[in-house]
Amino acid sequence: MCVLAVLALAGSPRAQDRVNPEAKALADFHTRVDEYYALHKKLEATLPKLPKDASPQQIDRDQRSLEALIAAERKGVRQGALFTPEVQRVIRDILARLFQGPDRAKLRNSIMDENPGRIKLTINGRYPDVVPLANMPAAVLKAMPPLPEELEYRFVGDALILLDAHAHIVVDYFDRVLP
Amino acid sequence: MRGRGWTATRVLAAALACGCALAPSGVRGAQQPGVAVAPTPAGQSATTLPNRPDSLKFLVLGDFGTGDSGQYTLAKQMVDLYARFPAQMAILVGDNLYGSERPQDFQKKFEQPYKPLLDAGVKFYASLGNHDAREQRYYKPFNMDGKLYYSFKAPKQDVRFIALESTYPVPEQITWLENELKNAKEAWKIVFFHHPLYSSGKTHGSELKLRDTLEPMFAKYNVSVVFTGHDHIYERVKPQQGIVYFVAGSGGQLRKNDFVPNQPFSAKIVADTQVFMAIEIFEKEMVFNAIAKTGKVVDSGLVLLRDSK
Repeated sequence: MCVLAVLALAGSPRAQDRVNPEAKALADFHTRVDEYYALHKKLEATLPKLPKDASPQQIDRDQRSLEALIAAERKGVRQGALFTPEVQRVIRDILARLFQGPDRAKLRNSIMDENPGRIKLTINGRYPDVVPLANMPAAVLKAMPPLPEELEYRFVGDALILLDAHAHIVVDYFDRVLP
Repeated sequence: MRGRGWTATRVLAAALACGCALAPSGVRGAQQPGVAVAPTPAGQSATTLPNRPDSLKFLVLGDFGTGDSGQYTLAKQMVDLYARFPAQMAILVGDNLYGSERPQDFQKKFEQPYKPLLDAGVKFYASLGNHDAREQRYYKPFNMDGKLYYSFKAPKQDVRFIALESTYPVPEQITWLENELKNAKEAWKIVFFHHPLYSSGKTHGSELKLRDTLEPMFAKYNVSVVFTGHDHIYERVKPQQGIVYFVAGSGGQLRKNDFVPNQPFSAKIVADTQVFMAIEIFEKEMVFNAIAKTGKVVDSGLVLLRDSK
């Protein structure tokens, strides 16, 4: 038994070395998303619950209140906090594989449909009011790491943003995503 | 078709002689085997909405919230129709507000153009499109009860409507949908959402992954009709597994002639003008009119309730 245990221990660092880097990056991304989600929920809980028959003014006020709370709590957070360089690489690879298929042109057209093009993005900044949200084809969403309901992937030009759909703020982004 | 466990929804009076907004090459009249289709004879007008006192009357609108003249002109046609055809409700297949969603945008892109209908008590039931913020679910006039997906019994006739969220269709929604369909007691099951399972639209087209997930459930649980949008055209699809699909994505936005011709599933396309739909259900019949912003009926017909055997 002792010998076996020693062998197992001796083998474990090498097994760790062999962990798929893509899986490791995705696991790390999930952890960071979970942390953001916990923060979102904690701050959301401090606000009055939006009624089911809200007016546009109430919806707007609620959104901006959450935006302010999150921005204050995440002050100093920089680009890449969730989309780390490793995660960026993985997502670029996912999209590259997706775009190798026969539907490449159709996929690109669908993403670029009503895409606002390049705009200035700021971490914790409000997604611009006058800029439409571009389409995310189902095929892309299916291939991407899953997100909780409060977060969405969106393309802005060829940048990918992580949007807090309730607070309407840019949580993170990175450029030159599309192959 | 009975041998496969269902009876195909029959679509009658598909083609139109007058008022067709498409060039003849854009009209698709081919018929699916096993589906009875009786085109309206040349020179005859569109299938008339019966306007029975006890029927369910509703409107279908998609991709409308632009706030520009195309939306307003079509809205006026809806209001004009309402004077003759008092719809109890309207369903919205998404992209309810394009661009900004500030309080003044809700006014300009929804409340103003449809004010006469809202004032008359027409209830709007929304589903969300890819351009819509999720907080729209709390907006009172959309009657979503704070939910991204929901179902409700129609105020008249034996009809259940199910609204889905198709931009981020989470697994929980799919489980919920199956339960809703399984437990629905109504004869008519009508589902509406944004992304089309069948579309000849060039920009987006059919959402095949969504189709793989949803269509087997629709067929199994006897859904009769599905309304979608997303591509900025009007399209009626030949019955697929007995289900009639419509794309009503030109309620304000319009992408002229943005379609791939001769798709085998396509029955009728209107891609050169904004369109909304007016629908009437009485017992086992659903009459539909697709109406352009000029007021012209550009497609019409009759859908019979699917046999539940």
